[in-house]
Amino acid sequence: MTKRALLLSVLSSTAILVTGWQLGSQATSSVTATVSPAEPAGSAGSAPAPTPLPSSSSSSGGTSSGTASPSASPTTAAVSGTFTGDSVQTRYGAVQVQITVASGTISEVTALHLTDADGRSVSISNRAAPVLRQEALAAQSAQVQGVSGATYTSQAYLTSLQSAIDQAGITP
Amino acid sequence: MSVRTAPEVAAPPHTTDRTRRVRSLRRARAADVLVAVCWSSVAAAVSLYLAYGGLAEVTDVGSALTAAGVITGLVGTDLILIMLVLAARLPLIDRLVGQDTAMAFHRQLGKPALYLILAHGVLLTIGYALADGSTVVAETVSLFQSPDMPLAYLGVGLLVAVVVTSLVAVRRRFSYEAWHLVHLLSYAAVLVALPHQLSAGGVLAEGTVQRVYWIALYVLAFGSIAVFRFGLPALRSLRHGVRVAAIEPVAPGVVSLHLVGRDLDRLQTVGGQYAIWRFWSGKTWWHAHPLSFSAVPTSTTARITVRSLGAGSDSLSRLRPGTRVSLEGPYGIFTDAHRTSPKLALVAAGIGITPVRSLLEHSELRPGEATVLLRGTDSTQTYLWDEVGVLSAARGATLYSMVGPRPPGLATWMSAEALGRGVTITSVFPELLDSDLYVCGPQVWTDLVVRDAKAAGLPDRQIHVERFDW
Repeated sequence: MTKRALLLSVLSSTAILVTGWQLGSQATSSVTATVSPAEPAGSAGSAPAPTPLPSSSSSSGGTSSGTASPSASPTTAAVSGTFTGDSVQTRYGAVQVQITVASGTISEVTALHLTDADGRSVSISNRAAPVLRQEALAAQSAQVQGVSGATYTSQAYLTSLQSAIDQAGITP
Repeated sequence: MSVRTAPEVAAPPHTTDRTRRVRSLRRARAADVLVAVCWSSVAAAVSLYLAYGGLAEVTDVGSALTAAGVITGLVGTDLILIMLVLAARLPLIDRLVGQDTAMAFHRQLGKPALYLILAHGVLLTIGYALADGSTVVAETVSLFQSPDMPLAYLGVGLLVAVVVTSLVAVRRRFSYEAWHLVHLLSYAAVLVALPHQLSAGGVLAEGTVQRVYWIALYVLAFGSIAVFRFGLPALRSLRHGVRVAAIEPVAPGVVSLHLVGRDLDRLQTVGGQYAIWRFWSGKTWWHAHPLSFSAVPTSTTARITVRSLGAGSDSLSRLRPGTRVSLEGPYGIFTDAHRTSPKLALVAAGIGITPVRSLLEHSELRPGEATVLLRGTDSTQTYLWDEVGVLSAARGATLYSMVGPRPPGLATWMSAEALGRGVTITSVFPELLDSDLYVCGPQVWTDLVVRDAKAAGLPDRQIHVERFDW
């Protein structure tokens, strides 16, 4: 390789690498803040008829439940039904979960959509989702540890779960 | 009288020298750009990962290994695609650096590319295992069950087969054809690896510029192969309809094949070039022969001269007139167009005389511009010398011959007798440093001539060697 070829190679390679690096840092700084768009209209459909409307007052009553503590738990008409959380975007794809609530307890957490941008993301979320589900069911909340090696999936999963819990209006 | 005097006529020889210099500088510049493009594509492969934001993901050992795994995969694949382009016989590459130089580069890239691909697999498996908290074995099993991954593993297997059969020690055990057949598997290896590249990682995800660039690289590599390695040669062979006209023995074990065809001048063959020939008879069709034109083709005839080296070229002497011939080419930069200097020095030994003869035939020379040295071990190796004699006389070239065996136990390209008389490369070519030296003969012998020329101070760009060992 001649000196000129070497020089050209080094110059153009450096330019290409710097450009790539710049693009990369722009992309990550704008994406890492997980964008959670407004909850899709689907929730109305997926939260079916059985949703007991009377409890809507209980959500406001929830705050007052502290005062009327003795009567609170029996009077709060236990919430039942399915509630769909926000769809949370990550760089590896959207995550959305649905909870099934029976008498005020979360009886099931179903992943409607998990990170699936590429094969690796699919296998990561397939590993993480059962663990997150278990933890969420046990804790009856979204305040659980994420799964290591699945940071994006965990964060998005728990964010979506929290929004579903908020809709159901259950407070642990 | 305002008649202007005619412009100076003495210019032509001067301008040709200058043109030569300019042309060779331009070629060198273009070749440098080509080299830079190759290395830039490696940088671009790394950049694909950087632009994806891969660095942001590196937080611990596992993710660092994963990042390294992705980068080695991208760079390794990029190198393999470069290798395919180098082997595609692109006219531009042949014209700038010659196919033999391109193939030398191709061979150098083989092992690094394989190591990178192997590292890619190993690093990612360990990186994933660390992230998932599982074992390498469990991770391998789970990877194998992922979509597109079985094909990727197949690709690695094929690649290993291709590189192992190309190791010098192993390659000797195979016939060229068997080796070449295995080598063609590399196309399959690169192709079956593509699905997992597009689906398993996020770097080349759908809708990204990265994906478009990557697919474009694949199209470029496979397109060059399809067009220049297969399409164009097939078209040319059909268009020119070359057949064997006659077979003329010129020395023991040496025959000239006289060929006829249509519009052969349209091939624009330049003296000193070669083509890769295939003779479509039952015994010979599977064997491709790289052979120099031993005369510049006319519009209807061409001639190649061949010495029996292997079983393949031996059966050429028994070809029947009328046998169909297909050709890939013409290729080669053992030509007048690649001269850089005012003088011309030609050295040929044995069958190496063929490109030297057609080069001489095709060169426009001033008297005294060229010096020719023909070398043979004995009088059976003096075929075509008479023709070179006639051409030398017609072009005012000085012709020397050197016949006789080399002295035993001495690394020299000269005969014992010439060596004894004190002949050196500079005594034969007094203006060597102002010359382009063209050497064609057996490999070891050629290397010795080149060694002497370099020792005399001749720079690389003035040395032109034709070899067919690729």
